[in-house]
Amino acid sequence: MPFQLPTFAHRVFRYRSTRITSEGLQFLIFVLAIGIAAINTGNNLFYLLLAMMLSFILISGIAAEYCLRRLEVRRHVPDLLFINTPVTAALVVKNQKSLLTSFSLTLSDVGDDQSVSPSIELHSLLPGASRVLTYQLTPTHRGRLLLSGVRISTEFPFGLFTKRAFYSREDTVVVCPEIQPVHERLLRGLFAAGYEQAVHRRGHGSDLYNLRLYQAGDDSRSIHWPTTARTSQLTIRETEAEEQRRAIICVPTSIPMSHDVSFERAVSLAASLVQHLTHHNYSIQLRLGSERSSFGQGEAHRLDLLRMLGLCQRITPTADSMRQDNWTDAHSEVDGGGTVVVIQAWSDSETGETELPWILIDGVLIPGTAHAA
Amino acid sequence: MGYSFLEQPMLLSQALHLTSILLASASFIGLTLGAGLPEWLAALTGMTLIAVLLQNMGMKSVDRFTTRMPVSAIGWNLIVFGGFVGFWIDLLWVSGDLLPAGLHFLMILMVIKLFNLRLRRDYLHLYAISLVAMLASGSLMTDLWFFPIFSIYLLAGAWTLLLFQLTKTSEVGGDVWMPEPIRHERHEGSHRVSPRLFWIANGLAFGAFLITVVIFFTIPRVNAGIYQKGFGENLRMSGFSDKVNLGAIGSIKRDPSVVMRVELPRSPLNDARPFYIRGVSFDRYDGKVWTNQLSYRRSLIEESPGTFTFRGKRAFSRAQLGEAIQQKILLEPLDTPVLFAAPFIESVMGMFPSLFFDATGAVYLPFPSSSRIEYTVVSRSNVLVSEDLGSESELYPESVVRQYLQLPFQPDRIKTLAAEVTQRQHNPYEKATAIQAYLTRNYRYSLDAPLAEQQQPLEEFLFARKTGYCEHYATAMVIMLRTVGVPARLVTGFMATEWNEYGNYYVVRQQDAHAWVEVYLPHSGWIRMDPTPTEDNPAAGGPVWKVLGPIVDNIKLQWNRLFVQYSAADQLAVVRELKAESMSVRNKALDSMTVLFSAFMTLLSEIVSHDVSRIRIGLLGELLGFAGISLAILFWLRRRRPWTAWNLWKNDRNDELVIVQCYRTMRNYLIKKGLSSSTAIAPLELVEITRSRWRDAHFSVASITELYCRTRFGHIPLTYEDLKRAEDELHHLLELQKSSL
Repeated sequence: MPFQLPTFAHRVFRYRSTRITSEGLQFLIFVLAIGIAAINTGNNLFYLLLAMMLSFILISGIAAEYCLRRLEVRRHVPDLLFINTPVTAALVVKNQKSLLTSFSLTLSDVGDDQSVSPSIELHSLLPGASRVLTYQLTPTHRGRLLLSGVRISTEFPFGLFTKRAFYSREDTVVVCPEIQPVHERLLRGLFAAGYEQAVHRRGHGSDLYNLRLYQAGDDSRSIHWPTTARTSQLTIRETEAEEQRRAIICVPTSIPMSHDVSFERAVSLAASLVQHLTHHNYSIQLRLGSERSSFGQGEAHRLDLLRMLGLCQRITPTADSMRQDNWTDAHSEVDGGGTVVVIQAWSDSETGETELPWILIDGVLIPGTAHAA
Repeated sequence: MGYSFLEQPMLLSQALHLTSILLASASFIGLTLGAGLPEWLAALTGMTLIAVLLQNMGMKSVDRFTTRMPVSAIGWNLIVFGGFVGFWIDLLWVSGDLLPAGLHFLMILMVIKLFNLRLRRDYLHLYAISLVAMLASGSLMTDLWFFPIFSIYLLAGAWTLLLFQLTKTSEVGGDVWMPEPIRHERHEGSHRVSPRLFWIANGLAFGAFLITVVIFFTIPRVNAGIYQKGFGENLRMSGFSDKVNLGAIGSIKRDPSVVMRVELPRSPLNDARPFYIRGVSFDRYDGKVWTNQLSYRRSLIEESPGTFTFRGKRAFSRAQLGEAIQQKILLEPLDTPVLFAAPFIESVMGMFPSLFFDATGAVYLPFPSSSRIEYTVVSRSNVLVSEDLGSESELYPESVVRQYLQLPFQPDRIKTLAAEVTQRQHNPYEKATAIQAYLTRNYRYSLDAPLAEQQQPLEEFLFARKTGYCEHYATAMVIMLRTVGVPARLVTGFMATEWNEYGNYYVVRQQDAHAWVEVYLPHSGWIRMDPTPTEDNPAAGGPVWKVLGPIVDNIKLQWNRLFVQYSAADQLAVVRELKAESMSVRNKALDSMTVLFSAFMTLLSEIVSHDVSRIRIGLLGELLGFAGISLAILFWLRRRRPWTAWNLWKNDRNDELVIVQCYRTMRNYLIKKGLSSSTAIAPLELVEITRSRWRDAHFSVASITELYCRTRFGHIPLTYEDLKRAEDELHHLLELQKSSL
């Protein structure tokens, strides 16, 4: 393979770079002045002072290089992040040198060539020692967050230059949409739809299904004491089976670029709904464009759905994509035993507010719903 | 018995303050030695430095004084303004020169800044002031003193910059999850000068010093100026101008200042014979003043860059020339343009724009040099030929007769005396020798002869006092020779007698200034004769200085040669030398490799041919022995790891060192008390033995051992309180009488 200079230069400058500090700039001005004085006068003692200052510059480079060499960096971040939700990320840095201490280290976590963490100062790291350094990571964009490595810099020994080293350590984490409390109108709509369309069956659950008189063999823990006291008859409280609570959340992804913000809000609303409905033991299916999840409930399913929402992409509307976004078959799938929530960021026939997504619960538009109110 | 291992290392901020003061002190001392600051200013700056140093060391009275100074920030600004006004007054009326006035103002600024070291910016200002002061010192001083001051400045500079950087950042943000006490303890420990940091700082300074030396010698010299511009005062010399009063040399005969150093690279060493260094000669004497009537100067021809010769100009020299003497002369800055060398100069090599000479053979610079100059001279003196020993004829050239037989007056008494002395001599050389012998035998050398005030100092010397010094002797001889018709002239210069055996050169001092006679002989030309008797010149200083003096002077010479006078020509010479050396080394390496390789090949061929009987057992043994020893050393290093012990002592964990020392002291004390017979006893075993046999000491031993084990094997850092407790327990243990044993 032929030698490619730009690639080589990129690698060199990616892994090592040097910047001059303000003190270093003043120092260099003095070096220049003394150099000119030495040349002008030919005074060897000026040359001696010049040599001393140049030796400080040289020693700076060598010592800083030794400071930054043979460090091992590891990173610990949660698997799932949420937009605008700070999490604690940890960097473990270890000095693998056997004799030399690394001084004045400044670490910053780098993702996509940009620092994602504040600068973390480390005064010294003894040979063989390691330190755990934590920082708050607050993602701002949904999708995959690529953490490419850790940039370590030092001004050791004389503070004239900042030498930087890049330790490659790639990690990819999914950033989910922001989860916010679900709006009251939406909750009311869900509540109404849930009662109208759910098939009521007894079973294990927490919501009330029916009250009836006590029969032999009934569990005494199910006695509804307020009613029993009021009616002076032992009354049993029957609960509604939880598996009846099913919901399909549809988020069409064929959205023009002009509605990007609205789409993000729709995705965030879907994530908030997933969070809310999971908490209420719904069995949820998520439809993102042509992509569909299975019905499921529980923590693992919630995380799967959130990951789906984190990674879903807006696509430019085409006839084909619009067809795939069709959610009308969702009602037949729940077969009257569930709720279909459609969160639409854009409609080709829309005329009103474009910033807020439309929400349809079982085909009924929830009026004035603004998720990010 | 006082044991105290526990010393809190100095805080980084305190160390920074200390090294900053040292940095300023080094530059101040350099400037004081070089510039000769006014006493009041030197005292003020020195006292300020001492005060802030004592304040840094925690002397409360000084601290109280400096902190209670009733000067506000505005007050300090006004003082700076006052200093600036003072600078202009100094420049215009007091010093009258920019450099001294600027240096005085610089010292005032340093004093103000030393009292105001609060912000990091103030420290930077102090460093800038100290650097400018060092620069000024370098321009004003080329003495050996500069080297130790520079070394201290470099050391303090490395420390200061390092500490300035380390105190720049405070460790925050990385360990917010830690409990506050642990975090505080960790930060507290990291902001002190640990042993490791101490060695690293010194190592960096040493490395910087080595690199400085390398850069200094390799950095190309591009001298825009011809001479090194110095502002120092030249040595005042008398006796080396066109007009010299009789007795002028006497005034400098008590001055031990070094004027020059003369190496004789190609001549055999001779420390017994005095070495005459010629300056100028005089032909006319008016009874009190010698003048040189032949002072018209012409340029020497520059044959090649830096080499000046007389080529064909010394036409008057018809004589047979003696052996060439090469001299390498390092001349101090003098207030005369005369270029000194052994008589008579043939060629001069040095970085001069031009050189001049007069008809008497004296060589001159265009103007007196304000700095040291180094030059090489090839001289060749005239040899006394046999014709002048036997011939009675006195055939002198007309120009010589006209110029060198002049007499100031009618010296009847002198003429009579000269005739008496030379009445039995027939040729000029014999007459000269007789007069020289007469003066040497009958007159006494003394510097305490105030003849200069006399109306006729020469007659006073010859007939009244009969004591004088070289000028009187030489003048008397010249005049006496002229009265008997022998051309002669007076020469001033130096007579070097101090041979430095460590550096193989002559040290020439002001007190070596001398005057002698050159006698013109018809066939030999100008021949040197010295009528001055040897003086008893006790060397200054005690016996120690007699031993150390030459060594110190040699170091001074090397300093001048290697540092002050180092030039592009020296760089070229070094390159040539290295080139030649590398060629030589390469050839030797090739030869060695060839020999080694051929031995191996012989051995291999013998092994391959299975003729074991022909294998050289000696060589095989050497190879196997070498391999075996190497393997043994590697095995030993691998097994013992000697660097780990060194590493322990260089550990930042000062607490570990303290507790280890505490434990060792305790263990040795218990062994001494008979509780164990060996140091190879496990810590807990020692505790158990103490519990059973010396109950009073048990608690102390257990406490120290617990802390020792916690740190040594558990790698858990100890707090200051833990260490204090360990030390208290050790004190308690050592005070216990073993009565209950």
